[in-house]
Amino acid sequence: MDDSARRLLQRIMRRIPAQMLKPTLDKWGRLTAAQRQSMDFTESKWALTEKLLAICEENEMTVKHITELEMIHVIENPDHCMWYALQLMDPEEDVHSVELTQFKEQFKSHLRELIRHVSIKIKKHTDEAVWIRIAWGDSFSRPNHLKPTYVVHHLQTPYVFVTSLTSKLKPLLSQALVLSTRYQAIKDASLSGRKLTAIRDLLMRQYQQVFPTKYPSPLAENDQNASNILINKEQAELAASRHQKAREAFGDGMLPQLQSAVYKLETKFRDHTNKTMTEREEAFRCVVKFASTNLLESLRHCASSGIASTPGTSLLSSIPLKGRNYFVITDNSPGPSSQTRQPSN
Amino acid sequence: MERLQSSVVRTPPNSTVVQRRSKSYRQSYRSCLGAPSRLGLTPGLTARRLNSSRRALKSHVITVSHTNPSLTIFYVLLNLQRETLNGHVFYPVLFLLKEKVNPEHLALLVKTEWRLSYVTPLHQFRHTQLKRYSRQLSAFIAAEKQQGVAMEVEGSQSGFRVSFSVVQGLAATDDDAETVLIQIYSTPVFARQDEPQKSVWSGWLTCINGNPEYLESLPKGFTCLPLFGGSGAEVLTSLVKSWFQRTFDCCFGPLEINHTSLQWLAALWTNCHTESNLQHLKMIWTLPVVPPLQVTYTVNPQDAWELWMSVRKDRLERTEEEAEAGSIDIEEVVRFVQGLKSHFYRHFRLDLSAGNLNQVSTTLGSAKSSGKIKISNSRYMITTLTLLTECALLKMPI
Repeated sequence: MDDSARRLLQRIMRRIPAQMLKPTLDKWGRLTAAQRQSMDFTESKWALTEKLLAICEENEMTVKHITELEMIHVIENPDHCMWYALQLMDPEEDVHSVELTQFKEQFKSHLRELIRHVSIKIKKHTDEAVWIRIAWGDSFSRPNHLKPTYVVHHLQTPYVFVTSLTSKLKPLLSQALVLSTRYQAIKDASLSGRKLTAIRDLLMRQYQQVFPTKYPSPLAENDQNASNILINKEQAELAASRHQKAREAFGDGMLPQLQSAVYKLETKFRDHTNKTMTEREEAFRCVVKFASTNLLESLRHCASSGIASTPGTSLLSSIPLKGRNYFVITDNSPGPSSQTRQPSN
Repeated sequence: MERLQSSVVRTPPNSTVVQRRSKSYRQSYRSCLGAPSRLGLTPGLTARRLNSSRRALKSHVITVSHTNPSLTIFYVLLNLQRETLNGHVFYPVLFLLKEKVNPEHLALLVKTEWRLSYVTPLHQFRHTQLKRYSRQLSAFIAAEKQQGVAMEVEGSQSGFRVSFSVVQGLAATDDDAETVLIQIYSTPVFARQDEPQKSVWSGWLTCINGNPEYLESLPKGFTCLPLFGGSGAEVLTSLVKSWFQRTFDCCFGPLEINHTSLQWLAALWTNCHTESNLQHLKMIWTLPVVPPLQVTYTVNPQDAWELWMSVRKDRLERTEEEAEAGSIDIEEVVRFVQGLKSHFYRHFRLDLSAGNLNQVSTTLGSAKSSGKIKISNSRYMITTLTLLTECALLKMPI
């Protein structure tokens, strides 16, 4: 087992938390029963790493086998790196006939054409997602397994999620993806976050959505906190309509856990109390960043508690509507009011 | 020494009025400001207020080299009239050259983030006895260590050396006591003979532009150094504070920077954009939703400055008095921040007043509502410390 494989294994062991060690190794399945018995999982991680290194030496494992272990761990816990969403555009006619083996072969061959030394591993996960691990090299050096890129693609959807990709390598990956999925172009979807499940659910709208209805009366029974009957009587209707609007704008139930949203504002300053600034020609430049452990939940609470008024027409509702969390707002771009949904009758 | 024009106190229009209960019969700080009833407090009549207007932020160049560093303080008033882009002339800028402040002290003050507290007046504190205080404090720390107070500070096996020093040149008026700087050094455990000691804790006590009526009303024997800043291990901070409390019969308390002061700092720093590039004006708000939402609002410095100037221009056009031109009023500060909030509201329909302003930062410094301040540019140290001294004096219970 060469040095790079050893280093890779040490790094993987550092990353895997202690309680996940046994299940991950079992899933890997490359240790014999006797070897598995000999690993005492109550020891310190350092001791376990040494033991595992010895076992891998014994089994004469190569880097290829070690990367399998890393991939298993990342598929189980995708939340420790930043994910960026990309969207494929302009499908060709046979886009729906792309199936897994064809995609795999095409992707590998296209990427290998573009860059000589690259190590690709493709795996299909149970939930229809295709996971790709790419270790990049160049014409002179072997693939660097310590800085791999992970790509997740759901076949039959135009969305691709990638981690850590340098700007030099991005066009190569984009080209390979476009050719193998039978689309014509790929663009940045302006959505990024730590939790892969969150950004995937947001883009593919896999959370409970609420559509505008004319008679939302079942809602009134849900609010059980009757602290003061008179106040509740006054406020009940207002509160119910606020809740309804909040749910229409952001969704119901558990919302995808986005962590942040960034808006780059380059609009003119308009304030009727301040004539000088309103007459100014240049844009008022500022950047606003919203951050929270669960951003959409916070925004929905802002809307339902009245801190945010008219949530449907504000820029904040564009996050779930367009599935993005990076926006550049200028005076020429269409305002959010043009996206109000038509009520369904 | 000619006193600078004192800030004009005006009744602020609305929300800067804060009420406080006090049963003290001694002339308290608040009684120097207004005309409260000595017999108790009728809410609504007595109000504790921050100064509602201040001098424009002057840049005190306090490190200029001086041929005669010992004595002479001289003032050079340069009335510079500058033209803005629109051809408007604005207020004259004053430069003051003072005696040199020790550059080492200055470097220490500028590069650290300080946790602030207020201090009640110290009884029998002598600036001439600093060496004795240094010895007493080191002995105190050693004694506490022996008693078993948990000390996780590095180098706890060797002794601590304490050094008290006076920072000359920061006091703005005759009434201000000189700033005192305290540093605690420790020798690392495996140090060689000639290795210099590492500073593990530093702190200072200061009073800059303290309210003169209050300072004069203090009984003899009391020194007022109401603002305390410390940086380093929390254990050492509490030891230093308890030593001060025992020796000088004073009281320490946490000093938060409330949103009015943060707004003042935002406006005062924006005011300096032409002199030193701010690079950005960043404000952090927290909205009280579940889970809490943090909004970071970063404004381009040039645009922030133009907004500030437009607010000032409106007010300057309305006042005729020339003397007012150099001072900034609380109304302007409030209108400036209100303008920023309304721009935000126009886009997001979120009223930032529903949240708390937690932090304001620019390249000139950063201030957090939890009571942490960092002054990154020595030129604006005096004015920032003046504001903080005022906050400390207001928060003091006596």
